[in-house]
Amino acid sequence: MSSDIDIHHLGAAYTLDALDERERMAFEAHYPSCDVCRADVLAFRAALAQVASAQTTPPPRALKAAVMAEVARTRQLSPLLPDRVSDLAERRRRRQRTIGGFLAAAAAVVLVLGAAVVLGRGGEPAYATALAQVLDAPDGTVLTLEPSDAMGAGASVKVAWSAQEGMAVVIADGLPATPTGMAYELWFIGSGDPEPMGMLERVDAGELHAVLDIDGDPTAWGVTVEPDGGSPAPTGDILFLGAA
Amino acid sequence: MAPNTEHALRPLRLDTDLRDMGVLRLARASRPGRDAAPKPGADPLGHLLARAGRGDQAAFADLYDHLAPMVYGVVLKVVRDPSQSEEVAQEVFVELWRLAARYDGTKGTVTAWAATMAHRRAIDRVRSEQSARDRVAREVSNVVLDHDDVAGTVETEVDRDLDRARVRRALDRLSPVQREAVELAYFGGHTYREVAVLLDVAEGTVKTRIRDGMIRLRDELGETA
Repeated sequence: MSSDIDIHHLGAAYTLDALDERERMAFEAHYPSCDVCRADVLAFRAALAQVASAQTTPPPRALKAAVMAEVARTRQLSPLLPDRVSDLAERRRRRQRTIGGFLAAAAAVVLVLGAAVVLGRGGEPAYATALAQVLDAPDGTVLTLEPSDAMGAGASVKVAWSAQEGMAVVIADGLPATPTGMAYELWFIGSGDPEPMGMLERVDAGELHAVLDIDGDPTAWGVTVEPDGGSPAPTGDILFLGAA
Repeated sequence: MAPNTEHALRPLRLDTDLRDMGVLRLARASRPGRDAAPKPGADPLGHLLARAGRGDQAAFADLYDHLAPMVYGVVLKVVRDPSQSEEVAQEVFVELWRLAARYDGTKGTVTAWAATMAHRRAIDRVRSEQSARDRVAREVSNVVLDHDDVAGTVETEVDRDLDRARVRRALDRLSPVQREAVELAYFGGHTYREVAVLLDVAEGTVKTRIRDGMIRLRDELGETA
């Protein structure tokens, strides 16, 4: 679908929010590590900021009070810490591939999977390569899971997968931290009971990316909070859910 | 869209209260720093945002006054429905507040950041509306809204008129087909593929028009974002 040559031309459509979900994900995985595209995005956004600033409308009077009331009860996020570079996701992905068959047989075994911050320095981040592979597959699918009301605005979980490639890429953003001893767990829902797909481990900075092996076609994906180490079946409220 | 997926999961409860949790926001996977970016400090709103990032609500209220007409204007232009636009604009501001400490001046001005967020949220709203339309019959409220007095806000009408004139001139430099494609995408909230269907031209053609149009706009509007 999207060849490498094409992707460098998507910056304009990306800043206009005119890409479909697949292309948007692919471009977001690509551009931070591409000097040309990053400069494009920056410059196009600056131009659009001026277009936006010429598009003013007096807001409803009640809006400010509503915003300030919400602000007063909304916790702010801490600043980002300096770069943390890791190729954990890639290493774990390889390890999972070799033991994948064994694990698939033991359905109740909790697969603790690595979610690592992979910051583009030089080459593309490891998850971007996996994502491109998934999105290029004929059955590649992208799904934004629906957050439950318990999730604040800005929390998102997206899953891209291909049953043919036997691989899924999870991209989570803006998730509130879990209490000590708890972590987010991802569920693959096929024809039977939800299968644990692993924990989305806490990281201190960066989007959360995880690459994992899948076996079969999901009908849905879900996320709950579970005790560290995971549960064999969901015990917490469903925080994100998406039907394939 | 498989119906009733909720039943695929057991309805069990979570005994922790998410609202009491600390928060981790996982940022974008890069920090460029070496692009041609506006110098920090050159952005008059950077100072207000920095204070807001340390929890200063009064500074955030000032920031609101600067940004609200733009944020609401962009959202309204895309979403159209005033009461929905108000909801979306509120989400944008709460998000700006939450993320204030994460703002990275090397990635653009505060205004550009807010405009990006406002547009993205507006688009998310219209696209999810679009996909929900078949399932849910919504009632659209057409409430007559009470509007702020603009006289009290920070930017004067004169400044705004100048901004508008500059942008209008820049948009006038685009070829009619470029302008049409850019406006259908940005204000119409359509993907470039949808624009291609609307205009009955090839997707590649629309992509090119959008790209060329944005390059022209960038060159016309230059450094002053």
